[in-house]
Amino acid sequence: MHLNAVELIDVAEGTRSEASAPHLASCDECRRQLTDLRAMMSTAAAFDVPEPSPLFWDHLSERVRNVVAQDVPGRSLQDAATWRRLLMPLSAVAAASLIVAVVLSSRVLAPQSGAHGDAEKVALRTPLAPAPPSTTGAATDLFNDPASDDDLSLTLVASLTADLDLETAGEAGLAPHGSAEHAVTNMNDDELRELRRLLNEQLAPSGA
Amino acid sequence: MASADTPLAELDERALVDACLADDPGAFDLIVERHRRSVYQLCYRFVGNHEDASDLSQDVFLRAFRGLRAFRGQSSLATWLYRIGVNVCLNRLKAKSPLSAPTESIEERQFIDVRAESPPERMLKDERGARVRAAIAQLPRKQRVTLILRTYHEMSHQEIADVLGSSIGAVKANFFHALGNLKKLLGEEF
Repeated sequence: MHLNAVELIDVAEGTRSEASAPHLASCDECRRQLTDLRAMMSTAAAFDVPEPSPLFWDHLSERVRNVVAQDVPGRSLQDAATWRRLLMPLSAVAAASLIVAVVLSSRVLAPQSGAHGDAEKVALRTPLAPAPPSTTGAATDLFNDPASDDDLSLTLVASLTADLDLETAGEAGLAPHGSAEHAVTNMNDDELRELRRLLNEQLAPSGA
Repeated sequence: MASADTPLAELDERALVDACLADDPGAFDLIVERHRRSVYQLCYRFVGNHEDASDLSQDVFLRAFRGLRAFRGQSSLATWLYRIGVNVCLNRLKAKSPLSAPTESIEERQFIDVRAESPPERMLKDERGARVRAAIAQLPRKQRVTLILRTYHEMSHQEIADVLGSSIGAVKANFFHALGNLKKLLGEEF
């Protein structure tokens, strides 16, 4: 009975001796196949990757360096240094929009002064500042949320916007009524926590 | 533990990765410099041409950079990069359909060869090498992957089976058919 593919490979690679396959001694077809297998294994092994120009290696390193330098958005939110690099090159308006959206999603602070339609003024404070007394009871101060205290990146962002209030942001064209930023300011606590979870999830690094 | 004064080149792999994560300039550049040749060769074996191999090499290092936090040091950095490279190349083979034979330009073949061969011998060898690589590139995907991993990376049949999600028997059968098809493509000259 002829040797099958697996048996021929085992003999060709030497994991099985020819003596263990007595059929080989009497079958020209199987011997021919075995010879061809060994020849092709040698041929493939003999012709490997051609050596590129010596200049290619530094060029490859340069390409990798450039693409890595541009890969800032792929980094984690947990990396405060990455946040600085991410925000620095942005225009002032774009940066302020991003800051407002993120900070307001996790740092809803002072109670709103009135019902909808009244001028809204939300003071954004650092996590260490005491919470102002709530007049409506509707807004919940997330500063005291222990789950957010150890988030260094959000602390950094909050500190950068410590003196920014929503009215000022609105005058600058940020968080206009109907915008995403504006919608964030009207979210309840559960909605804000969910928004923060989604943001962290989207920006989490992926391993290989 | 590396001190602030330890040159990057003297750091062990774990310390070098830590330096990368600490945004130490030059740390990842050093990793690239040390492993670029092996990564490029791996990619070239899969795609059979310089340009695609160069692009894939860049992808491999970018994925490695993004996944540095996931590197636990349980394997060497070379092995870790190798696994990323194989995945990148396999994804490329899946995406590229139908498979096309690589086209090596004359310039790609005329590389500096430090071996002591006469120009005619070197030219003949380069031509034969180009034909072999072109033939390998025409093999069906699993046959190509099996032949590359077995021949050039000396992976065991079990390791290849794990990569391809198949059995050892299937891997050996793939290898058998890959070699048979290679002979048909190359003809009697080989």
